[in-house]
Parts: sequence; C-alpha cells; structure tokens
Amino acid sequence: MCLGIESTAHTFGASLVDDHDRIVTNVNSTYRPPVGVGIHPRKASEHLASVADSIVKTALSTQDGSSIDPDVIAYAAGPGLGPCLRIGATVGRALSSFLKKPLVAVHHGVAHLDIAMSIAKAHDPLAVLVSGGHTSILVHIGKRWRVYGETQDITLGNLLDMFAREAKLPSPGGLSVSKEAMKGEKLIKLPYTVKGNDVAYSGLLTAATSSLHRQGNLADLCFSLQETAFAMLSEAVERSLVQTRRSEVLLAGGVAASSRLREMIGSIAEDHGASFHPVPVEYSGDCGAQIACSGRLAFESGITVSTSDSFVIPRWRMDEVDVPWIPRN
Amino acid sequence: MDTSKLTSTPLHRGAEADLSLATIGPWRVVIKRRVRKEYRTPSLDEQIRHDRTISEASRIHEAKTAGAKVPSIVGVDVENNAIVMTHLDGTVARERLDDMSINDARKLLRSIGEQIGLLHTAGIVHGDLTTSNVIVSPSGEPFIVDFGMSRRSTEPEDRGVDLHLLQRSIVASHNKDSSSMMNSMIRGYEQTAGKKAAGSTWRKAREIARRGRYFAIR
Repeated sequence: MCLGIESTAHTFGASLVDDHDRIVTNVNSTYRPPVGVGIHPRKASEHLASVADSIVKTALSTQDGSSIDPDVIAYAAGPGLGPCLRIGATVGRALSSFLKKPLVAVHHGVAHLDIAMSIAKAHDPLAVLVSGGHTSILVHIGKRWRVYGETQDITLGNLLDMFAREAKLPSPGGLSVSKEAMKGEKLIKLPYTVKGNDVAYSGLLTAATSSLHRQGNLADLCFSLQETAFAMLSEAVERSLVQTRRSEVLLAGGVAASSRLREMIGSIAEDHGASFHPVPVEYSGDCGAQIACSGRLAFESGITVSTSDSFVIPRWRMDEVDVPWIPRN
Repeated sequence: MDTSKLTSTPLHRGAEADLSLATIGPWRVVIKRRVRKEYRTPSLDEQIRHDRTISEASRIHEAKTAGAKVPSIVGVDVENNAIVMTHLDGTVARERLDDMSINDARKLLRSIGEQIGLLHTAGIVHGDLTTSNVIVSPSGEPFIVDFGMSRRSTEPEDRGVDLHLLQRSIVASHNKDSSSMMNSMIRGYEQTAGKKAAGSTWRKAREIARRGRYFAIR
C-alpha cells in the first residue's frame, strides 16, 4: 500500500494505491484564487498547509473508520511552486520517519503519465502531457522519457488560464474558455506558431488579449483561441506520431479534460492506426492518486530517497528522471 | 497544373500530406498533396494548406537555385493543394544511420551540415529539420526534403531552430554518439556558411534547447 502526497501548486491531495495498482482512496482540496487573479504561491501554500492534516487522515481511513498504515510514502518533489512543494515534502518526511517506512520522491509530470497509463491501459505510447506546468510530447527510450516536442514558452494551461483571467472568467481557465467557445462560431485569425515539433503560445496570448481589450466578441475569441491553440499542438503531435511510429497515443494532464482536445488528438491517433488512451477526466487534474501510483512503481523498481536527501526540486525536467518501469505490462 | 487527372500510385503517408508516384513525360514525379485534416476547423485548415503549398514550392525552387541538393519543382496545383516534384531515389537518413558505423555516420552528418549551410546562406530556413527529412541517395549524398514549414529568414533564431531540431532528432534515436555526430555536422556547416555564421547559429541552437521547461540553469 503506497501513500501519495501531491502539493506542487494549487492542490493538496493524498491517496492510497494498493499492490495491484488499484486506487483505494483519493482525497484532494484545491485552492481557487479570486476571479481575475492568478495563484499566489504563498496564499496557495497557506491553503495547502491548512488542509494537509485532515486530507491525509481521510485518505488513510477505511470506510468503517479504522486507519491504514501505508508501506511506502511518496511525495511530489517537483516541478512546482517552492512554498507549495515544501508543504507536501514536510508531511511526507514526517510520516516516513514516524511510521519508519521508506520515502519516494516523485516527479509530478511523470506521475501524470503513470496514472494515465495505469487507468487508460497504455503500454509504450507517444505521450502528450498538457497541463499548467507542462506541454510536452514524449516517448520512452532507454530508461527515460525523451522530449520529442514541447512548448518553447508558456504551457497550454498557462495560455488558457491567463486569457481567462484577462477576460474575468472563473478558474479553471480551460473549462471557462471551452464553455464560451461553444457559443462562438466565427474564426478570428490569430498567430499560429509551430516550429518543427515545438509550439510557442506567447504570441497567441498577446494577440488574443489585445483583441479582447478592443472589445472583440468573447465567444468568437474563445472559439478561435481554443481552435488555434489545440490545432497547433495537434499538428506537433501528428508529426511526432509519424516520426516515432508508436502504436498508442496517451493524453494526460489537466487540459486533457477538454473534450475538444480529446476529439482532436483522438482523430489523429485513429488516422494513423494508433489506439487512443486519454486519461479519465476525474484523474486528469492534479491529485494524490497520481503521486501514489508513480511512487508505487518507483518503489517496486527499488527507487527510494533518504530523509536527508528528500529535497524539493522546483525546476525539474521530465527527461532528467529515470523511469525504468516503462514499457508497462 | 491540374493533378486530379494524373494516374498515380500511393508512396507514403506523412503527417500533413500524402505522397504518390506518377510519370509525366520523361520524369518520375512525386505528388505531394496536403490533405484535409478532420481535427482542424475547416476555415483554419484551408488557410494552412493553401499557404504552405505555395510557400513550400517557392522555398524548394529557391534552394535549388542556390545549389542545394533538393528535388526539382515540376509544377504546382493550387486548387488541390498539391506540389509535383522530381522523385529521389534513396533511403531516409534516420534509417540509414541505424546501421552505419560511427565514422560513416559522421561523414554523412558533415555532408548534411554542408547542405544546411547552403540553405541558410541563401536566406532559407527549413523549420522541420529532422533525420526523417533527409534522403540519402545510393551514392551517399544527402538531399533535404519537406519544406512545408520553411520560411525566408536570416535570423539566428530561425537558423538555430533548424540545428536544434536536427540535434534533438539525433539524440532521440542515436543518443550514444549524438555529440560527435553534431560536431561533424557543424564542421560541414562551417564549410558552406562560414565560421562566423556557424558560431552564432550553434550558440542560438543551444540557447533554444535550454528554453524548454524546468531547466535548472538558464
């Protein structure tokens, strides 16, 4: 039984995953900033600290009220906001030394892929990770995920969140923009920047916000922003799929909840005879279960960390982490 | 020209276009037709396919004029978003590199570097330069193909993207020898683009690689 603790940004989560990769409990609380404002790292970390105790307790208790002792403790060591990461790391270290159980430092992005692969049953896919922290296209070679394409500036999640903030739409931005987009129909021409397998979204954000401030039609603008941003990523994904010749496409991360993006990436997979494995919507966003799932896999591969080395790593690339448990069975 | 009435046999399905083979007069030609993408909203799709067809044909022709080894344009079918060009015999570099000795691989990378230097000096950047977009002729000469993302530019930034993408495709499939292969590529690039341009482009390429997310050192 592995306890996973997530606290990289706005969510504190704790979850138990058993030895058969089944999610036993998954309890999460997310900090929501006021409309028009971004996540303030200190305010977010205060929220995480205030809920940590009760979330861990709930995650460790069975339905009849008794509590479960985990065999391994996993915490999200990065990447993320420093003040937030330190909350989860502190809780993880404390539990590990109190219960005398091994500790595992998990990479949050790798964990997004691990939970998606577990539930959506992917073996060795072309992985598309889209969230507030990542926009990457990856394949597993040797012991690591290799970045085949990625954003050169802001992530897809950043783009949608920042635009939503400017438009005074509530968080999460992706959901608000997609709701508005359904009412739009006219395509406004916006910058479309694909460089090989990479995308760049900052020009698109600038053009969309300045059009917004010129009193452009919000629904049409949301429609155009979403269509352009998703088409850019989809093109990079299609290109990577042809180059890597993988037979599975995995879609993971918070923005994977978007039905339009699922439709687009799914259509590409189908076009090239690959199977499509989107993460279920309830496990797309940050949650304790992803950390528990990844921590269990790392522990089974013999990867643990001593308390004295259990740092947080706010900047930590996916291609710097050993993930020997892929391809999955 | 109108390609819709040509008899052709399918050759390859790429990411954004279908390639097929046909014969026009004495030439064996490849027809590259940009197909409709279901995932894109129709007006965006039409605009992208139209713009890229015209731009690709122009860039290939310019590259040819500059003396680079590229296909020759036979015709353009704007109505059907298709380009007709001469067929090249050979193997994709990505596959050739798999069963090459390190010395042969370095020799090939050097010639690829010379070709990129020619393009850049002529004011063309490729925009999607991977080992999948280089065809090696039976005599071992590299031809650069697929100018769908290419543009006219002499900016170090755009040139750097070319070298960055090439490096990444080599790291992804030939990680072990990638740095010595890239060194040979730069030697070739210096030959045709000069030391100064080679220095600034390579510096930019390394900077671009660091722009990815979450590097500890910036």
